[in-house]
Amino acid sequence: MGIPVGISADVGAAAIDRAFDWLRRVDATFSTWRNDSEISRLGAGTLAPLDASPEVRAVLRRCERLRRQTAGRFDVRATGRLDPSGFVKGWAVQCAVALLEEAGARRLGVHAGGDVAVRGRWRVGVQHPLERDHVAAVIDARDLAVATSGAYERGAHIVDPLSGCPPEGVLSVTVAGPDLGTADAYATAAFAMGLDGPEWTAGLRGYEAMTILADGRVLSTDGMARLRSTVTVADH
Amino acid sequence: MTGPTLARRALPAALATVAIVALLANVKPKLPAPPPPRVIPPAPEVRRVSSKRPTAPGPRRTATGQTVTTPFSVVAVRVTLTGRELTRVETVALSGADGRTKAINARAEPILREEALRAGSADIDIVTGATYTSESYIDSLQSAIDKARRG
Repeated sequence: MGIPVGISADVGAAAIDRAFDWLRRVDATFSTWRNDSEISRLGAGTLAPLDASPEVRAVLRRCERLRRQTAGRFDVRATGRLDPSGFVKGWAVQCAVALLEEAGARRLGVHAGGDVAVRGRWRVGVQHPLERDHVAAVIDARDLAVATSGAYERGAHIVDPLSGCPPEGVLSVTVAGPDLGTADAYATAAFAMGLDGPEWTAGLRGYEAMTILADGRVLSTDGMARLRSTVTVADH
Repeated sequence: MTGPTLARRALPAALATVAIVALLANVKPKLPAPPPPRVIPPAPEVRRVSSKRPTAPGPRRTATGQTVTTPFSVVAVRVTLTGRELTRVETVALSGADGRTKAINARAEPILREEALRAGSADIDIVTGATYTSESYIDSLQSAIDKARRG
């Protein structure tokens, strides 16, 4: 199972190669689609937690803190199988951004499966949940991470860990903030909360959100309203 | 400096199936620096005191209640009891920098802004959306942007 990745940066090919090498290493370690990955072996019980690599242990500790912070709505064991990919994707991209910055990149953008992290000023379009060729909003992003959780691409693949059912009433949640792994987990959790999600996002510190509801309303946090581009999106 | 260099790579790894690389030749102009922060000097505390003579002797105790934060002020109330009589009530309004910060924070309750969903076209650099597979990426907005970059 592949996730498309794009890197755009004002550095040489060698630095971009290193970023891709990092992403390949993350995949080898964390992919739930590979039986020999550390995560798969941990989940199967053939690798003891204390024998896992420091990176894996750090990621799982972070995921546990996020589980408590989201009152269980972000849970790497929600499907019954250990799967931290809702955090790992963003975390891996954020680390790739750091690698590119270390190599001297001043303006860069990385996208991976719909998650985005940028350095410098970028116009980030929020995919319209119902019309594939259009955007629902534009975020005027500077040094920002943006993650989106929704049901419109792969169907109801996100369930609320507390109910076991897909959430009703919400098409997508977009979360913006300094760290993509965190934004990823918050978007997943907020989406799983369904119609209770927007109020929860309004209480987040340092992260802003916009929720697109199935009834055609969009609920944005105050800070997200300020991040949105002042240029009018031309109605089609 | 030459124009942008683009390279497309197909990677066998599960994580990266399509890789698009672009070197940006343009350097964005520097934005003006933000203005320096405004310093609000602390205002003196305001005390309101009412007191009365005790009608009977007794041990004197003073107690200060919790501070109460409203959008306009931070107030603490200190009472003095002589025996069982309330003989002094002091209202202290904190108006210093700390008090002002607390008052401002009380105003900043989390709110949500509501609007109607619109569909539009816009000049964008990158797209955020729900996770897509390599198959759906090909038709996606992001793919169109990446193709346009390759020129």
